[in-house]
Amino acid sequence: MAAFKNAKQLAAHRKKVVAARPKNRKAIAVCAGTGCKAFGSYKLLEAFKQELKKRKLDKKVELRATGCHGFCERGPLVLFFPEGMLYQRVGVKDVEEIVKQTVMKGKVLTRLLYKNPTTGKRHKKEADIPFYKHQERLVLKNNGQIDPTSIDDYIRIGGYGGLVKALEMGPEKVLKEVKSAKLRGRGGGGFPAGAKWEICKNTEADQRYIICNADEGDPGAFMDRSVLEGNPHSVIEGMIIGAYAIGASEGYVYVRQEYPLAVERLQIALQTARKQGLLGKNILGSGFSFDVHINRGGGAFVCGEESALITSIEGRRGVPRRRPPYPAVEGLWGKPTVINNVETWANVTLIIDRGSKWFASIGTKGSKGTKIFSLVGKVNNTGLVEVPMGMTLRQIVFDIGGGIPGGKKFKAVQTGGPSGGCLPEEKLDVPVDFDTLLREGAMMGSGGMIVMDEDTCMVDVAKYFLRFLKFESCGNCTSCRDGLMRLHELLTDISEGRGTEATIDLVEELAQAVRETSLCALGTTAANPVLSTLRYFRDEYEAHVKKKRCPAGVCKELITFKIDPKACNGCTLCLVRCPQNAVEGEKNKPHKIIQEKCIKCGICKDACNQDAVIVE
Amino acid sequence: MDVKLRINEVEVEAQKGEYLLDVARRAGFEIPSLCHHEAVKPIGSCRVCLVEVKAGKKTSLTTSCNYTIEGGEEVTTDSGLIRRMRAINLELLLARAPGSKRVRELAQEYGVSRPRFPPVEDSWLPNCILCELCVRVCEELGHNALSTQGRGDEKKIGLPFNKPAESCVGCGSCYSVCPTGCILMKDTAVDRTIWGQKFDFVRCKQCGAPVITEKHRAFAIENKGLPENYYDLCESCKQADASKRFAAVAWQD
Amino acid sequence: MHSGAGLLGRSRIKVHPVGPERFVQVTCLQCVEAACAQVCPTQALVRNPDTGALEVNASRCIGCGLCEAACPFGHMHFDTELRLAVKCDLCGGRPACATFCPHNALEWR
Repeated sequence: MAAFKNAKQLAAHRKKVVAARPKNRKAIAVCAGTGCKAFGSYKLLEAFKQELKKRKLDKKVELRATGCHGFCERGPLVLFFPEGMLYQRVGVKDVEEIVKQTVMKGKVLTRLLYKNPTTGKRHKKEADIPFYKHQERLVLKNNGQIDPTSIDDYIRIGGYGGLVKALEMGPEKVLKEVKSAKLRGRGGGGFPAGAKWEICKNTEADQRYIICNADEGDPGAFMDRSVLEGNPHSVIEGMIIGAYAIGASEGYVYVRQEYPLAVERLQIALQTARKQGLLGKNILGSGFSFDVHINRGGGAFVCGEESALITSIEGRRGVPRRRPPYPAVEGLWGKPTVINNVETWANVTLIIDRGSKWFASIGTKGSKGTKIFSLVGKVNNTGLVEVPMGMTLRQIVFDIGGGIPGGKKFKAVQTGGPSGGCLPEEKLDVPVDFDTLLREGAMMGSGGMIVMDEDTCMVDVAKYFLRFLKFESCGNCTSCRDGLMRLHELLTDISEGRGTEATIDLVEELAQAVRETSLCALGTTAANPVLSTLRYFRDEYEAHVKKKRCPAGVCKELITFKIDPKACNGCTLCLVRCPQNAVEGEKNKPHKIIQEKCIKCGICKDACNQDAVIVE
Repeated sequence: MDVKLRINEVEVEAQKGEYLLDVARRAGFEIPSLCHHEAVKPIGSCRVCLVEVKAGKKTSLTTSCNYTIEGGEEVTTDSGLIRRMRAINLELLLARAPGSKRVRELAQEYGVSRPRFPPVEDSWLPNCILCELCVRVCEELGHNALSTQGRGDEKKIGLPFNKPAESCVGCGSCYSVCPTGCILMKDTAVDRTIWGQKFDFVRCKQCGAPVITEKHRAFAIENKGLPENYYDLCESCKQADASKRFAAVAWQD
Repeated sequence: MHSGAGLLGRSRIKVHPVGPERFVQVTCLQCVEAACAQVCPTQALVRNPDTGALEVNASRCIGCGLCEAACPFGHMHFDTELRLAVKCDLCGGRPACATFCPHNALEWR
């Protein structure tokens, strides 16, 4: 396949590949994202390959390895075309039967369909499953459908059509479109992308740069990873469009060290795009040239901060710089640079392809479009969800997330990663929107959404994030480096029973200083987890200091495991399983825990069938 | 001087791009600092030089050492907020460097004498406040014998490959600029020990007094373009020699 | 006079005997092509345009001691306590030594 010399050739090729795959052609799409890979989906693919070959179906039925479907809780996922039927938790042992029954005879294996836990109904079509039904998958739409290593797959679904439109519009119109769409950065800051681009474009320079921030450092966040693994071209296309709009000839994708699959898929995508004349010199014969390099991070969360990221690309230690000057004015190697997140770039492609009016019709007044969240923690349907801005937290956690497992009570949802805050039950009807979340003491952040239940201790949560942040701080500022270290010490004191009311006051004072006097956003937002948990869960902190108790039963120094003699039936299960031999008792007689030996591991509680182990 | 700004309601002139701290001090305003030195680029580490800057509509609390002036700013160098914020950063610093006289005295000025945090147990370099002056100065001098290692609360000042640095010339500049005096340097009549290395002194050809280290002399000869024999004598002997030469000229008997 | 300590050792002007009853005072010659300024790594030695003296800008001095080693006349001093270079700066235009000398042996023009 030779390079496309112009848009016409691309269009002709698109026609060809669309025709080559008739709409009712049978296909099996197996999720090959990192999550399902960990569940063994690669082995599944191999098994399907062998089975189809064995039955001489390999030419008739297309087998495709796709990107992350998002329903990670239910992996490995297999999607059947043209029906749109989804099988979940598929194992290698199911493959023979699937091919024999479903593929050859059209019979549905109900045991592999998703069962709705509330209605008990089995859903055949992916689109009917509540997890998917309530989402608005725009960026993630094609993740489960295309092979990310095939540029033809991307072209078939309309890929690079946005680029063609951009080249026809001209740079000024492209910029205008992005501004009218009111696209706000998806990396955490929520800064209007169009305004950033305009500042960069208007700064006189002989060279400008585009950067894609794929560092995704928030623990529990994997949106960017899945977009890069599942549909890398959508990001590349967005970058080319952006570079065209602002006049940049070089771009960088800074991918965190821990995403080898994303780098691999991105490399393949870049290579194929170059080969096809969609990247590099004289793109589609337009005269515009732009190419992209991949930079890998070194394992530092702080390098997700834009100025530290730029410093890292320059080959120096990832230490943030004072802003102003902002990267749009003085960025990579001192040149005007637009740095945007992966999801932002993918949205650029959509905006130019489908129009700013369409994009601005989705979402709220202040936050347009959709947002991908990684819904994790104490929730039934963990995975990636894409929803329109304005959907409430309740809808996301319960309608899509399926609520809290084990019948436990919802306690809080943490949004925005280590820079974000925890919102309690009263705030579940808050619409997801950049500004409303900020007002409530949380943050959109990059899209991490961690659900917590009654067994989560909010002091412990704040302590966890402080431990993470003090380790990841670049260490430049006294307020951040020492401030976070001391905040962690104080929270450890509180969680281990050494705290007093004065400790809480000191925590608040110190948190204010960290927020007010740190140089970069890591520092200024680092106090959010502790400040938001103090705002909404102060009673928990007070229980720790006043009563020396951990109400959620987490902080080891403050809890005691006891056996209720009335509930205990003397089955000796806990006695046998206890790693410290801390349970004593005779068979069929109530057991007792020896407190001095107990290490609060909780194994006895897990083992007990009588609910006789209580945590106080 | 191409721009104007106001500091504590006084109009001050500056060059666009100059650092606010330098301009303020030049105009006679006192702003405390620990990690600042005119000879090296500012990094805004200690957070002591905080000031309030109103640029346009926004007022922000920021460090003055690395704030580049645009013009038109309204700056306050002292206020209740500023004092409180300087105080807490000094409290954190004092907890990290309880043995430093300079930090102790500065903290005292802000009402901090007993930090509410336990001292840092740093067995590697007690009382270091990670201001990186030693690193920056050594880099400025071209030796690059010091660097920071690690990040966050485990950050420390270290040597290349954790071994005494080959490029160190024993000039002692790091020791000179360190605000807390935490760097250890021992001079005897014949040698200097610093950062785990012993450096022989050049001995005055006439009286044997120490001049500078041999390595420093070698560096100077290589890079500074002065005749080698300039470093042969100690300061006193050079004076005595010079005085004899002047005398020979002054009293031409 | 500068450091206000009144110590002989801290003085920036010294007197050397060069023969029986002959003394020469030595102090900085404010060289036009000064060795001290040449070796200074931070340009901390600056010419005062009014007095013509070479002055140490203490806030730029990093205390490396090279200037003291380089001055061929031994007129550059290094204060080992302050860790700073010190030298004669003509007292800003009115040298105390010349003002003080009761025999008018020192003349400042």
